Amino acid sequence: MGSGIYSIGVSALKVAQAGISVTSHNIANANTPGYTRQEILQSAALPQNTGAGFFGQGADVTSVKRNYDEFLSAQVGEAQTRSSNLNTQYALSQQVSNLLGDPNGGLTPALQDFFGSINTVANAPESIAARQTMIGSAQSLSNRLQSLDSRLTEIRNGLNGQITNSTASINSYAKQIAVLNDNIVRAQALSGPNQAPNDLLDQRDQLLTQLSQEIRVSSVKQPDGSMDVFIGNGQSLVIGKQASSLQAVSSPTDQSALEVVYVNDKGVSRIQQSALQGGNLGGYLTFRQSMLDPAQNALGRLAISVADTFNQQYQQGIDLSGALGGAFFSSGAPTATAATSNVGNSVVSATINSTNALSGNDYTLSFDGTNYNLMDATSGTAIQSFTATQLATPQVVIGTGITLQRTAGTVTDVAGDSFLIRPTATGARDFKLAVTDPAKIAAGNPVRANAPLTNLSTAVIAQPTVTSGLPLNVNLQQPITLTFTSASTYTVTGTGAPGGAQTLPAGGAISINGWTTQITGTPAAGDTFTVGTNTNSSTDSTNVLKLAQLQTTNTMMHGTASYQGAYGQLISQVGTQTRELSVTSTAQTSMLAQVTKSQQSVSGVNLDEEAANLLRYQQAYQAAAKAMAIAQSMFDTVLKMGG
Amino acid sequence: MRISTSTFYNESVTSMNQVQSNIAQTTQQLATGRKILSPADDPAGAARASELTQADTANTQFGANRIAATNTLSLADGVLQSVTNLILDVKDVSTAAASSLSAADRKAMAADVQGRMQQLMGLANSQDGTGNYLFSGAQGNTQPFVATVAGVVYQGDDVQHKVQAAASRQIPVTDSGADIFMRIRNGNGTFNAAPAGGNTGDSTVSQGVVTNVASYTGQSYQLTFAVAAGVTTYSITDTTAGAPVALAPPVTNVPYVSGQAISVNGIQFEVKGAPANGDVFNVAPSTNQSIFDTLNKLVATLNTPIPSGSPMANANYRQGLSDAFNALDQGLNSVLGTRATMGARLRELDALNVSGDEMGLQYKSTLSRIQDTDYSKAISELTQQQMVLTAAQKSFSQVSKMSLFDYL
Repeated sequence: MGSGIYSIGVSALKVAQAGISVTSHNIANANTPGYTRQEILQSAALPQNTGAGFFGQGADVTSVKRNYDEFLSAQVGEAQTRSSNLNTQYALSQQVSNLLGDPNGGLTPALQDFFGSINTVANAPESIAARQTMIGSAQSLSNRLQSLDSRLTEIRNGLNGQITNSTASINSYAKQIAVLNDNIVRAQALSGPNQAPNDLLDQRDQLLTQLSQEIRVSSVKQPDGSMDVFIGNGQSLVIGKQASSLQAVSSPTDQSALEVVYVNDKGVSRIQQSALQGGNLGGYLTFRQSMLDPAQNALGRLAISVADTFNQQYQQGIDLSGALGGAFFSSGAPTATAATSNVGNSVVSATINSTNALSGNDYTLSFDGTNYNLMDATSGTAIQSFTATQLATPQVVIGTGITLQRTAGTVTDVAGDSFLIRPTATGARDFKLAVTDPAKIAAGNPVRANAPLTNLSTAVIAQPTVTSGLPLNVNLQQPITLTFTSASTYTVTGTGAPGGAQTLPAGGAISINGWTTQITGTPAAGDTFTVGTNTNSSTDSTNVLKLAQLQTTNTMMHGTASYQGAYGQLISQVGTQTRELSVTSTAQTSMLAQVTKSQQSVSGVNLDEEAANLLRYQQAYQAAAKAMAIAQSMFDTVLKMGG
Repeated sequence: MRISTSTFYNESVTSMNQVQSNIAQTTQQLATGRKILSPADDPAGAARASELTQADTANTQFGANRIAATNTLSLADGVLQSVTNLILDVKDVSTAAASSLSAADRKAMAADVQGRMQQLMGLANSQDGTGNYLFSGAQGNTQPFVATVAGVVYQGDDVQHKVQAAASRQIPVTDSGADIFMRIRNGNGTFNAAPAGGNTGDSTVSQGVVTNVASYTGQSYQLTFAVAAGVTTYSITDTTAGAPVALAPPVTNVPYVSGQAISVNGIQFEVKGAPANGDVFNVAPSTNQSIFDTLNKLVATLNTPIPSGSPMANANYRQGLSDAFNALDQGLNSVLGTRATMGARLRELDALNVSGDEMGLQYKSTLSRIQDTDYSKAISELTQQQMVLTAAQKSFSQVSKMSLFDYL
């Protein structure tokens, strides 16, 4: 009986020691990320049956358990993947939004300065100083567009680096999880199914949380204790102790962008980029597709529209030397890239037929074996389908402002071959000023009308305007003489003149050789009017005024937006997206905090609680020791009796 | 609920971070004076602001354009004011010359008018501050008026330099010199009655009037006098086509009374004095006669000697003076007409200035409402955020002090 008390005491001491040890372990790991609070499970030892009933035999520690809630941990993983995804997108979109919307650094001031300087030239067309100002502000407009574009390109290049880093992290986590799987399976095999290697499990769970920060994963636990991890459309990242990996490689259609491919023991395979969601990596890919590319395209579209519409009007004017204007700006042309995976080697070229109709979207032209199908590169919406014969000649794609043509190569295209068409991607990058000589600014009207002083009537001829548009009529500046034979009939002489007697229409408008003028008043028989080259017209502001008016003309988006309007739309679009991300990422961050708090309320270490446990086990230890001391004194009493 | 110790620390730090970032945002709003620090703060507002800024800068630019236009117009108007005075002076000369004068006086007057002519050339060739001719149309570098053997010719053009004075209004700031100085109708503006070159009698013709606009459509007539047996009669033929054609009904051998109105096909004029047999007066549609021509003719008239006893010379002198007087009136009308349109443009510019200023104010106040910091609101927000931060810091320091270990 006496030895029973000793052994009971010893068992109690052992349990209390175990308790203090686990409590100390908890205290030690209070700040270890991913650590799960542990506690001992103790139970009464098997009782001994005597004739007088069952006597207890002390206490046993049956297991060390971690306070883990699988459901809550899964929630934390999901919240983590969303939160890091949105935070990444938000941080990146803020860069774009601040860049484009900066009231001083954005495009707005450069655009306004430019048009202000055009007005200065209109006020004093002969002034070289005013013209120099216009050249200068046009140069800053082109610099600003280029620098905005290059900043966006920097962000794009930065993304490539971040995608590479992210895939490296994913690969490293996957490998560590595979190693831990191996260790856990071995440990579990040794300890049996009822004892878990708690700290190893914590480490693996922590790695899974970290992996969730990079990409959305799903995991399945196996009976042997290992955990399989999947990404994307079910690609296995970890199976048992085998880890696969991801790799960042250049996109087959866009060498400047990295995309993520899947590598396992069977080789490299492409995965749909849109399937890689969640986490930082998903954030990078989504940001590039939904904000960076559209912003760069929209900026390019603006640059192309400015260059095109400005040049068109510019070419309808003459400079100080009387020469017709050429191109004032040049801008980037559409790119059409054949995928590196193409079997055929035909070449597709794209040109712009109407800047007014440009959408700013990218398109994919893919061959299905019979037809070439054009679709929106982002949404996949089908746009138009062409046969090879059709594409052999330039084809206007309805509603997009672009024209496509395909030149067959030596190797025939096979189904699946595709081309990426980016109509406006390089627009802003290649936006350049083509005129540097201030005297070359085409401010004047190419033609001028004159009424000789010898005319008998007081009829007046209005200054002609160029109405033919581009290309200009070859005879535009040919001298033309209108000779009236009566108040309403006249003949025309000169190159390009219509023969025979002409009748002056009501309103008096006359159009010849691409210009239109108007005669008001009643001409007398014998009156003549001449129209010809506007020589020596140093103070003519006709064309430069028309250039200035382009500022408020709706030349973009099917005639619904001016330059500034289109830029305002870009700002508002980018701003709205960023604001949305700001709201959702804040919400998701607090969601993560909530879920983490719940999870921590189960698994986290509370130091006050551990202090109480320390006291509890200390007192248990002291009490057990007391029981043993009493057993000893009882034994001593018995011994004294013998003395 | 169990709170894990690290949750307590994490949450405290997170919430303090949040408040601090709010404070940073508010501080930045206060420092920059801008409510919209990034388009994400107010996407619609940012887009609206960018468009309003454009409207506002364009409006400011139009204001600058209007100042340039006002300057040019005022300059031209000043020059034309001098031209007006000059013409009035010459008119006075032509009036004074009508009273009988000595040959020497006429010479002196001719020299005076000649001087005025030079002065007028100078005015018509005025340049603005940057060396551009005011009255040469769009050929600012070309001297518009040049004296040649054939008289003064215009070398500019009829193109007007326009300035964008408002979003939808272009105002011409220059006028063609041809319109002001050259395109002046002689006679009465519709037709011109003048003695033929070889007249020998002492008679002059008035400039006449159009009595029926519908009847006179630009015909030419010839009025021929016949003196037979002391009776003076006249006949009129239509010379529109060159060769004389009899009128229907014919006007032949009508008895002549000096100063009595002679009417034909909607026009009316008077011949005064005593025409000689065979004297001819021609009526033709008005043509352009420049002010320079008018002055030159006046000089020639004044310089022509009047031999005593020559009725013809006397008649020519009086006819010359009266023609000059008429032509100067026409010239004056042309200059005053131009000045009137300039005045109208200047008034319009003033009106546009007023509306432009108002619009500018509106743009600025709207822009300010959209993008400027509301200081009282921002400062009260800042005070509130400071309070929250202080509370968070205090509660953190208090709560973090509470540990059971302190009592063990």
